[in-house]
Amino acid sequence: MIQQWHEPATFQEWLKRTFSFLNIGLVFFAALFIFSEFRFNWCEKLLGRYLAATNPHRPETGSIWKTGRHTLAANRFLNDIIQKKQEATQKVEQAQTFVELSSGILPGEWVTLQKEQFKSLYRSLPQSISSRLISPARLIWILSGKDLNRIFCEGAVQGLNIYFLDSQNRVIHQLTISSEDIVQIETGVQPISKNIEEIEEFSNSIFSARHFFEAVFMLPEDIIPDLILNPELLLDEKGQIQKVGIWNEAQSGFINLGFEFEANGRKRVVVVKGREWAVWQLGLILRGDTR
Amino acid sequence: MKRLLINILRGIRLLFYSGLIGAALFGFGVMGLVFFMSNDLPKLPQPLSRIIETPQTQIYTSSGEMLITLGERKTVPLNMISTDFINAILAIEDHRFFEHDGINKLRTLKGLYITLFKPGQVQGASTITQQLAKNLFFSFEQSFSRKFKEMLVAFQIEATCSKEEILHAYINQIHFGAGAQGVEKAARIFFDKSAVNLTLDEAALLAGLPKSPTGYNPFRHYNRALARRNVVLNRMAAVGFISPDQARQASETKPLLAAKRTDSRTGSYFLDALISRLVHIYGQDVVYYGGIRVTTTIDLKLQALAVQSIRDGLNRLDQMMGLDSTAPVRPQGALVAIDTASGAVKAMVGGRDYYESEFNRAVNSRRQPGSGFKPFVYYQAFRQMGFHPATVMTDRPVKITIKGAPDWEPKNFSKQYQGDMILKQAMTHSVNTISAQLVEQIGPGAVINLAKTCGIKSPLNEVYSIALGSSLVTPLEMASAFSTFATQGVRHEPFLIWRVEDPFGRVIYEHIIQEKQVLEPALVYQVVDMLKSVIDRGSGKSIRQHGFTRPAAGKTGTTDQYNDAWFTGFTPTLCVSIWTGFDKGRNLIDINGTGITGGRSAGPIWAQFMKEALKGQPERHFPIPENIRFETVVGATGCFEPEPVPQVLDERLTDVFQEPVPPSTSVVPLKPDQVPCPPHGKESP
Repeated sequence: MIQQWHEPATFQEWLKRTFSFLNIGLVFFAALFIFSEFRFNWCEKLLGRYLAATNPHRPETGSIWKTGRHTLAANRFLNDIIQKKQEATQKVEQAQTFVELSSGILPGEWVTLQKEQFKSLYRSLPQSISSRLISPARLIWILSGKDLNRIFCEGAVQGLNIYFLDSQNRVIHQLTISSEDIVQIETGVQPISKNIEEIEEFSNSIFSARHFFEAVFMLPEDIIPDLILNPELLLDEKGQIQKVGIWNEAQSGFINLGFEFEANGRKRVVVVKGREWAVWQLGLILRGDTR
Repeated sequence: MKRLLINILRGIRLLFYSGLIGAALFGFGVMGLVFFMSNDLPKLPQPLSRIIETPQTQIYTSSGEMLITLGERKTVPLNMISTDFINAILAIEDHRFFEHDGINKLRTLKGLYITLFKPGQVQGASTITQQLAKNLFFSFEQSFSRKFKEMLVAFQIEATCSKEEILHAYINQIHFGAGAQGVEKAARIFFDKSAVNLTLDEAALLAGLPKSPTGYNPFRHYNRALARRNVVLNRMAAVGFISPDQARQASETKPLLAAKRTDSRTGSYFLDALISRLVHIYGQDVVYYGGIRVTTTIDLKLQALAVQSIRDGLNRLDQMMGLDSTAPVRPQGALVAIDTASGAVKAMVGGRDYYESEFNRAVNSRRQPGSGFKPFVYYQAFRQMGFHPATVMTDRPVKITIKGAPDWEPKNFSKQYQGDMILKQAMTHSVNTISAQLVEQIGPGAVINLAKTCGIKSPLNEVYSIALGSSLVTPLEMASAFSTFATQGVRHEPFLIWRVEDPFGRVIYEHIIQEKQVLEPALVYQVVDMLKSVIDRGSGKSIRQHGFTRPAAGKTGTTDQYNDAWFTGFTPTLCVSIWTGFDKGRNLIDINGTGITGGRSAGPIWAQFMKEALKGQPERHFPIPENIRFETVVGATGCFEPEPVPQVLDERLTDVFQEPVPPSTSVVPLKPDQVPCPPHGKESP
């Protein structure tokens, strides 16, 4: 049934319709809605509950989370440094030689070495290298002196730096073990596959093996050990010694001696160090200055 | 009449149904918006206290005193906060805090109305919960979208946290300015007391700050902060937290601020330089969020003296120039003090007032050192040419031909020429023409190499005028380079950091003091002896006039047109470089129109600082190398016996000599192979 709507024709009709149950109900509920919201804040509570329910699925954005991420990144960075340092310390503690020590510390990393460990590492060095790094007398003075507080070892691109520090972190003495030294410690002395005459530095002082050793045995007994500091290098070599050369200049109190070995028709030269003053005395005998 | 009533009823009907439909549509719209936006809303940390868990980086002095904590937020429970403060912050920010569930609807509607219908006016309506939401998650961008999201997060905070938790989080993370985040730190910074001990007037002052931490910063705008404090007190009285009498009494007091002024910035040029260095090494995250512990080289006593000396010295300079505190531009200054035995920077001031200008002139401002560069020239001449302090040269007009450029004709500061003199006198009186002759002989490249060996790192131009300090350097570089002279030629790299530890105390960096002998001790001593003479009787004699009596050596430096005035000097233990001048565009000219030299401006600052810095320490002399002997020679001839000094040695110079050189003698240190007479320096060059 279609009901025709028409505007009230009379004022009474207007009043009647205005205050109808429907209108009064609508006004009442609207007022109730507004009043209850102002009184009980149920809209805010409803929304708050809804948002709390969806909280775990929402992104961690905003300044507070950003701060958290910065903190996390900082912790990771610092832990990385500490972890690397701990690893380096562990490797260094286990190191038996400077080669192992060097492989445990990357450039820029550093660790503190115990005095006893340094002594042990120093003792593991071939005498020719250890004496060149630091004389035993100086080392004894430093290690047993009252100034030394700790030994600081730092990896470097060109090898290892070892600092002997006092209690104020002042460097009392510094050692640099170059990459070449480390290679030499690791591989030992590599023979040079040449005739000794082809090595220019020996050119003015080459002697036959017989002549050389005859002169050696003319030296006082106590000098001979200083003449050939690493006899094992020569004892390990196969073949016969044909010639011996003396290097034409001294380095840090040592002079190189070149021993030419011949085996299976091939010649090679083993270079070892001798103390300068012992070699000098030998030279006098070789040149016939003293007899 | 009836018709009119009907029309009114028609209007009411229209309004009612339109309103009903509008409200329904608005409700649906809001719901849609909530669903749409809720996915992008930030996640709320649980518990809320997680917001204050960032570890803080702590920076200490060399003796272990705390200098600053970066990102510090000291959390205190509500029962350890003054009730007056809690009432004050509630009264001024949100007095219905305990009644609403996130927003104050009436204030929000009012704010919305004003924003929409009264352009230009702003009505703050944010509750404490909304402010917390904004501080935790949102930028300060003003947009309806941001406000809406902020409101939604406030609802969630209210739905999941108690009022006490919200208030606790708010009070402990809110910014009060001056670097104070959280009420405890604010109470410490502004009143040097704990938050629990705040009095009513102090609490009200603090509660007024969050509205505009900079604008109401009581260190800078005390009266403004008091006015705001009174607003807070009146508000407290209006909402019934205190009586009107209490408000009146409190508003009549003037709370005493902490004596040690701090600010939102580090407040220190040294700390700025340090933090910049740390950030360079470890990055921003580690420095600001890593919680590292840094032990620096700074000595608080020396730093305070340095700040005071620079302030006093620049005030004296203002007076000389006739400037008062209202002058738009005033001269600046910088000071760097280095421990000569290690290279540790003990004090650093980069300007007159950090709060006026944060530009650190001690490390970032490169200026011409003027005659301050002469020690490098003289040392190099001694080393390269075999000259010594008794070598005689002639102070005369000099013209040096430069290929492809105009001839260089340096003039003396006094515009006068004094004829023959030994090098010690030339250095003492800072004779430019003799330095120019020396650099002509040794070459500017040699001077540059030496300066770099001593620690100058700025790029230096290979020109003859390098002898008169034409290349730009910083006060830190000058202090470091002169320090090499103080230690008999042993170079130490200057440094700011002794040690860095992670939050668990594990060392991640420590400084090792490495020494490198870069200069020959005997030659260094000869230069030091000349620099002592500069202070005792030369261009730096203002040092003695200002009462500094200990053995010291140093050199003034004043550039052309008086743009820069320096004094760099040292005792055997401490080397200090001071620069004064305008940042740009002005010269140091006194009220009589006379230029102000390094001896007049920087020298007294140096003397004031050193007098106090070395107080209580034993007097130390510069060690004399074994191969040094002392001879007394005539200043003009370099010979042992006084000889008649000719009035004019060279007829060509007649017109430039103003007065004859007085026959004076001088004690010079010489090496065993150095013979003071004949004056080979004059003949052989």
